[in-house]
Amino acid sequence: MNRTESKARDDGGALLEVRGLTVTFGTPRGDVDVVRDLSFTVDRRQTLGIVGESGSGKSMTSLAVMGLLPKGATASGSIRLDGVEILGKSDAALRKLRGNSMAMVFQDPLSSLNPYYTVGLQITEAYRAHHNVSRKAARAVAIEALDRVRIKDPHLRIDHYPHQFSGGMRQRIMIAIALCCEPDLVIADEPTTALDVTVQAQILELMADLQAETGTGMIFITHDLAVVSQVAQDVVVMNGGVQVEAGSTEQIFSAPQHDYTRALLAAIPRLDDDLEELKMVGDFRTGATR
Amino acid sequence: MPGYILRRLLGVAVILFLVSFLTFCIFFLLSPDPAVMICGKTCNPARIDQIREQLGVNQPFLAQFWQFLSGIFAGRTYGEGAAAIHCAAPCLGFSFQTNQSVVDMITARLPVSVTVAVGAAVLWLLIGISAGLVSAIKAGTWWDKGAMMFALGGISLPNYFIALVLQYVLVVQLQVLPFPSTPDFGEDPLFWFQSYIMPWTVLAFGYASMYARLTRANVLDTLGENFMRTARAKGLPSLLVLRRHALRPSLTPIVTLFGMDFAGLLGGALITETVFGLNGVGKLAADSIGKNDQPVIMAVTLMAAFFVVVANVVVDLLYAVLDPRVRVKS
Repeated sequence: MNRTESKARDDGGALLEVRGLTVTFGTPRGDVDVVRDLSFTVDRRQTLGIVGESGSGKSMTSLAVMGLLPKGATASGSIRLDGVEILGKSDAALRKLRGNSMAMVFQDPLSSLNPYYTVGLQITEAYRAHHNVSRKAARAVAIEALDRVRIKDPHLRIDHYPHQFSGGMRQRIMIAIALCCEPDLVIADEPTTALDVTVQAQILELMADLQAETGTGMIFITHDLAVVSQVAQDVVVMNGGVQVEAGSTEQIFSAPQHDYTRALLAAIPRLDDDLEELKMVGDFRTGATR
Repeated sequence: MPGYILRRLLGVAVILFLVSFLTFCIFFLLSPDPAVMICGKTCNPARIDQIREQLGVNQPFLAQFWQFLSGIFAGRTYGEGAAAIHCAAPCLGFSFQTNQSVVDMITARLPVSVTVAVGAAVLWLLIGISAGLVSAIKAGTWWDKGAMMFALGGISLPNYFIALVLQYVLVVQLQVLPFPSTPDFGEDPLFWFQSYIMPWTVLAFGYASMYARLTRANVLDTLGENFMRTARAKGLPSLLVLRRHALRPSLTPIVTLFGMDFAGLLGGALITETVFGLNGVGKLAADSIGKNDQPVIMAVTLMAAFFVVVANVVVDLLYAVLDPRVRVKS
């Protein structure tokens, strides 16, 4: 899919439509569903938050959309990007979408960058995978991408290696890689979890600004409810591989319907609470096989 | 960087000095009196004293060590007058059993050992790394299992055993290869190749097995790295992902190992050369141990240590080039 094609559909249906997504791991003791019957949509310029604790299936959902599930895992259901079914597409076809129409920002920016190569190469290779341009032209794109994620002296920094950047800077580079091909959809999988709080705020602000500029749709995966309330218009709450609640962010935060969501919200300590102990989120697993 | 290299070279000098001192200590303390060994059948105490003086072994330990060291840089003369024997610098000693300068003996044999080492290294790098790669990429399949079985064999079977079996089957029974010898390449390239192919194979088998297992483990580790997922998420072709992102992190540690292994072989493949009767440095060492020709044993030991110490520095410098994280900040 090229960009003009996707832009032409801008007035049409949802950017991403996931229906009945089930991700199954085959194990020697039988199949295990890590995600079961999950449905959601993401529109352009919109951010969908997927919230849940570790092991709730958030990351598997994003990997399923990208077609990057680990060996032994299979996805079923329907995933439509711009109205086109991408589940079951060949790896070659998916490769053309990856990085180009949909891109991903991962949790740990240090281990997500290859320590052996300059950040410049790691950005340009993403661009050149989808654009037939010279090294020089790709380098100009990469410098511009670094500038957009507000890295100072991008023409010098482009030749530096990942270990020469701080944690927040590395995540900016990951964002630059994700955005260099101007994807329609960005999936951010816990992009701020590995960062300290002040840097977290800067990265969130940057992502919001860039989204406003480019109009991409975004899936923001996190276990942090405070972050979700800042960035997402809609929220899906997951637990044990299934969706327990979905709705607009306001709705979820002001009037949670499900016990698990209430427990999650109640577990956030507040300054005005007079607590002896922190509240626990109990086991609300709703049926997914363990 | 130049400062770093200079510091490392200084370190090399210190280590080589210590190695030569230790080696000298061991031979001084442990070995039987060389004069008695040389003296032979028509021996009497006066003759032994005379030889001792000629060898310089009647002097105190430090004086002998000093003579040895200065001999390396300035050459030395054994004995006096008409019977004096001059050993030109660099003099690592003089073998009175063969009446040759030790350095001459080694330099005559070194080309054979180098040929053995280089040929084997080419083979084992090619086979070991590609087998390891295939095993890692096709982990769990019969390719993987087969290659790893083969590698286990290479590690477990002693190379003198493989050497003898190969020689018996290929040379004696099937007669497809001649008995190995050490011809010049220029004289008869085919005979040269036929002579060296068995030693190469035997040496390479063991090393290739080790390298295959190591490559497999490294590649599997790297394939699980987060940056591999990033590379795939960019939509890069899978071959490029493998070649660029998996190979370099996996093979860099192997450079270190290879440097040391190769340097070790330059000091002589003792067993392989002996089994195949190749006149290399390893066979020289084995023969000299048999005859208790101390100056030769000591010189070969020192030379082997020299290669390893130098390789260590080269590998460290190369590592800094290959891995940006250890590059010295200037």
